[in-house]
Amino acid sequence: MGLPLTPDASLLTASDSLEVGMEIYVLVKQVPDPEAIIKVKSDLELEIENKYFTSFFDEIAVEAGLKLKEKFGGKVTVLTLDNRRVDALRRGISMGADEAVQIADPAFEGSDQFAVARTLAAYLKDKPFDLILTGRQAMDDDAGIVGPGVAECLGIPHVHSIISLEVDVQGREAKVTREVENGKEILTCPLPALFTCQKGLNSPRIPQVMNVMKAMKAQIKKVDLASLGLGPADVGSQALRVKVQKYLPPPKRPPVKMIKEDFPENVKTLVKLLREEAKVI
Amino acid sequence: MALDFSFTEEQEFFRQTVRDAVNRLIMPRVKELDEKEEFPWDLWKEFAGLGYLGLRHQETYGGMETDTITQMIFYEELARGSCGFAMSAIMQILMGTYFIARFGNEEIKQRILVPAIKGEKIGTICFTEDQSGSDLGGTRTLATKVDGGWRINGRKQWITNGPIAEFTTVMATVDPKLGLKGLNFFLVEKKTADRDGFVTGQRLHKLGSRCSVTGELVYDNVFIPDENFLGEEIGKGVQYAGEILNEVRVMTGMNALAISKEAMEDARQYANNRVAFGNPISKYQLIREKFAKFWAWYEASRTLLYKCAWMIQSNIPCTNECMLAKYHATEMCMYAVEEGMRIYGGNAFCSEYPVQRFWRDAKFLLYGGGTHEVLCDYLGRIYCKD
Repeated sequence: MGLPLTPDASLLTASDSLEVGMEIYVLVKQVPDPEAIIKVKSDLELEIENKYFTSFFDEIAVEAGLKLKEKFGGKVTVLTLDNRRVDALRRGISMGADEAVQIADPAFEGSDQFAVARTLAAYLKDKPFDLILTGRQAMDDDAGIVGPGVAECLGIPHVHSIISLEVDVQGREAKVTREVENGKEILTCPLPALFTCQKGLNSPRIPQVMNVMKAMKAQIKKVDLASLGLGPADVGSQALRVKVQKYLPPPKRPPVKMIKEDFPENVKTLVKLLREEAKVI
Repeated sequence: MALDFSFTEEQEFFRQTVRDAVNRLIMPRVKELDEKEEFPWDLWKEFAGLGYLGLRHQETYGGMETDTITQMIFYEELARGSCGFAMSAIMQILMGTYFIARFGNEEIKQRILVPAIKGEKIGTICFTEDQSGSDLGGTRTLATKVDGGWRINGRKQWITNGPIAEFTTVMATVDPKLGLKGLNFFLVEKKTADRDGFVTGQRLHKLGSRCSVTGELVYDNVFIPDENFLGEEIGKGVQYAGEILNEVRVMTGMNALAISKEAMEDARQYANNRVAFGNPISKYQLIREKFAKFWAWYEASRTLLYKCAWMIQSNIPCTNECMLAKYHATEMCMYAVEEGMRIYGGNAFCSEYPVQRFWRDAKFLLYGGGTHEVLCDYLGRIYCKD
């Protein structure tokens, strides 16, 4: 706890990397497949079928990173914190990312989103990045905390839920759009920065099989807690700020109610039920 | 600890990737593909662009040289989408290009295999005739040796991709009296000046697998040069065919696995929601029994099919096992689609629900790799042998 995670300003403002292309990191997470069976095993434990895929919004972030690399050159690195799985890293490589890094350590078990953000930031703090991208939220917990959390720990600007992204490499500035109620907001932001990506920013590519094969064989760089200058007290159950109190399964769908009257009485009954029972009108 | 049924992390990743591609490219169009009954050129181009057509070919020609288990994972996932599209793609990946890759000279490989892997040229293999299919010894298409090459005469039927194929691997006999010993493979291409006589005959309208176009091909005294003879020695066609029959049978079984699973998943959701006599019909024992039987046979089938894939990959002789696996998986699939139809009751009989498409598509699997009557006759004979 309380480690100085704000990076050295000279590293973050260095423009060297932009001359040879952009240094982009994409934070990715593997989440249970929508088809996976998830059961509430106990108040604090879920039983999740072993089917995982890359969180959809993170794929949008990878795509955004790859598009910038194709335009300006540079490197895209996918980064995850997961003790068991690297599916999202392989997915990133199969889409075209250059490198993959897995942060894993038994001490991470039970970490909350803040500990994850702190750890990712600890890895990134001395890297010469121009841009960090990630999904607006993970598709399992829908928390949306890690992205902004990493930006805060690094002391860099962040914009949430962007739907367009343009980078001015020379001016070291990005122009982004995000949806707000009844409209859109267009913002400019100095680089380096962190953006979380929303549906509409792009359509993630389907990987070519050649890259899939490359991803299957790819060596994933592994980083542990100690090498990040963090200790067990900084992560895991010891560092919890958000505690899960109880998991509840979604309510069962009520049985279908058949309206037996003939027209036009059935319409009146339907409207009455929608208003009084379902309370949707 | 020699027995291990698990897939590697890489294989699981590969499956997930193919599944995602199928979900995004094919699934949204399944109904349209079935109803239009046309070859989906746009989907073909998009799919070919991903590189899967080179799955089992050498890297030198643009392929990926994957192992058999990986290929079978691909076939299983692809057929989940559209059986018809899977048939066209697998024809290109496996049967349609195998003998060209195995026996074609470098010029042929550059001219045909390389664009085939890119999806630019579509190919097929031609076994079946009006009087022969599983009975290959009855092949009547004739190859006659002439100066500098061969003349091919005959008609081939039930040719997947036939109406759109630019190159065909044709099984023909040098002498019908020789039976199986007279058979050989020849490469015959369309759209080449000296290939007069190669005509696309009638296109067949099928019960299922309808977006793969199937038809008749006519070879009327077509001349082909010597290098288009695909083999090392005359009369070894059947032996060469045997090299891929195991793969073809397991691949067909993988298609059956995929269709049966999709059909029963669909039926499960229906049975959980369709209320009769005050309960979802999945609460009734006669309906539950259908799922229990399917589950048992599906798991057995899947285990046997992947065992066969492992045996092929490990070069362990497995002709009988592959026949058993194809037979079991396809019969299991027939059970699944039939019971799926019954679970849907009268709704099964209209095109609004997908169950009838599974039923129609599945029937296509009964014939490739040997009809079940022929397979069972052979297997029974082997089993009863003293």
